[in-house]
Amino acid sequence: MPVMLADILILLAAIYLCIGLLFAIPFAFFGAGQIDPTARKATAGFKLIIIPGTMALWPLLAFRWLKGVAEPPEEKNPHRLAARGPENNPAREGKG
Amino acid sequence: MSLKYQAVMWNRQKKIYDSVLIAGVVLYLGLFSGLGAIFHPNATAETLLIRGFGTAALLLLHIILSIGPLCRLNPRFLPLLYNRRHLGVTMFILALAHGGFSIVQFHALGDVNPLVSVLAGETRYTSLSDFPFQPLGLAALLILFLMAATSHDFWLTNLTPPVWKALHMLVYVAYGLIVLHVVLGALQAETSPVLAALLGVGLAWVLILHLLAARKEKLPDEKTYPAAADGYVNVCAVSEIPEKCAHVALIGGERVAIFKYDGKISAISNVCQHQNGPLGEGRIIDGLVTCPWHGFQYRPQDGASPEPFKEKVPTFNVKVIGGRVWVHPQPNPPGTAVEPARIGE
Repeated sequence: MPVMLADILILLAAIYLCIGLLFAIPFAFFGAGQIDPTARKATAGFKLIIIPGTMALWPLLAFRWLKGVAEPPEEKNPHRLAARGPENNPAREGKG
Repeated sequence: MSLKYQAVMWNRQKKIYDSVLIAGVVLYLGLFSGLGAIFHPNATAETLLIRGFGTAALLLLHIILSIGPLCRLNPRFLPLLYNRRHLGVTMFILALAHGGFSIVQFHALGDVNPLVSVLAGETRYTSLSDFPFQPLGLAALLILFLMAATSHDFWLTNLTPPVWKALHMLVYVAYGLIVLHVVLGALQAETSPVLAALLGVGLAWVLILHLLAARKEKLPDEKTYPAAADGYVNVCAVSEIPEKCAHVALIGGERVAIFKYDGKISAISNVCQHQNGPLGEGRIIDGLVTCPWHGFQYRPQDGASPEPFKEKVPTFNVKVIGGRVWVHPQPNPPGTAVEPARIGE
């Protein structure tokens, strides 16, 4: 790999992680409880332990926090989709 | 199952698991360093540490990759699965120590940024002996970081189990990168065939275990079930289901767990809401379907966890006619109460 490309990659990664760290601290203390009710009464240890993952996935979490999402998404598997009925199941109507 | 997140929900089993894990790692590193100092007196302490951390991480990765298929092949291995996440995080820490010491020893003494040196230090991609193997290790380390950082249940819930599992399937990419990292790195300088033989045995072991588990996993899914005019499908005889256990059948594109208990039959989706564990391979304990992976529990009648827990899985309408179990393939919304079929009626 050329040195210039390696330089750029390392710089971009450093910028991404620095923004992630700046985001992770308020998110761990305030945001996590906003997007997931189970995190509202979470322990200090939990808040510390989610910081590395928040640094890695901050764009997704920032989007959910800013959008005001209040519950974690429901998983999609064939039984849960079928249980929603055709009106709530895009795959059944050929849309998905 | 929890009402609020904690860093680690400690219990006796986890404490024993982690004690054995830490003791094993310390013992391995001590033995490796001690024997290394005896048999390779010219090796520096840094070199022994780099090799010790690297081989410990690789050995642990083989153990981690073996647990899943071993549990598919024999439920007696399930206790190993219970706290596998701590194995993964430990393995990442060992790999990080290996990478960190390597970068300090081989890349930190020049004018170039050590990470840039790792990525751009060697560019002979056509040479087997001088191939830039270190970027392969760095890429694997990034994957292992992502997995370790997202190992908490908060991530499982917020990414949803299928996405979380897909993310954690990257462990196989990391394994491939690590094998290449070793083959193109350490093995190129190794004069003894022992390390190459051990790596080959490990690779073959992981591959064979996965093939055997995949074969066993596929067999129940190949069966089709005849449907009656009312839509119910004839799944099995009541006598085929052991008491307080389940018969598993592929219905509606996913597996259904049909439980027999106290003279009744109930059917729920086989997919645990926690980590998508196979509920049908669990048992009914204290009147509740108990997931064999982490002990999450659901009432067989309505697929809901007992209060105050919130987990729910879809349920299915069932009936018993002439000693045969019939299941309607249309799942009910998660947590829907369904009257169990009485075996004697």
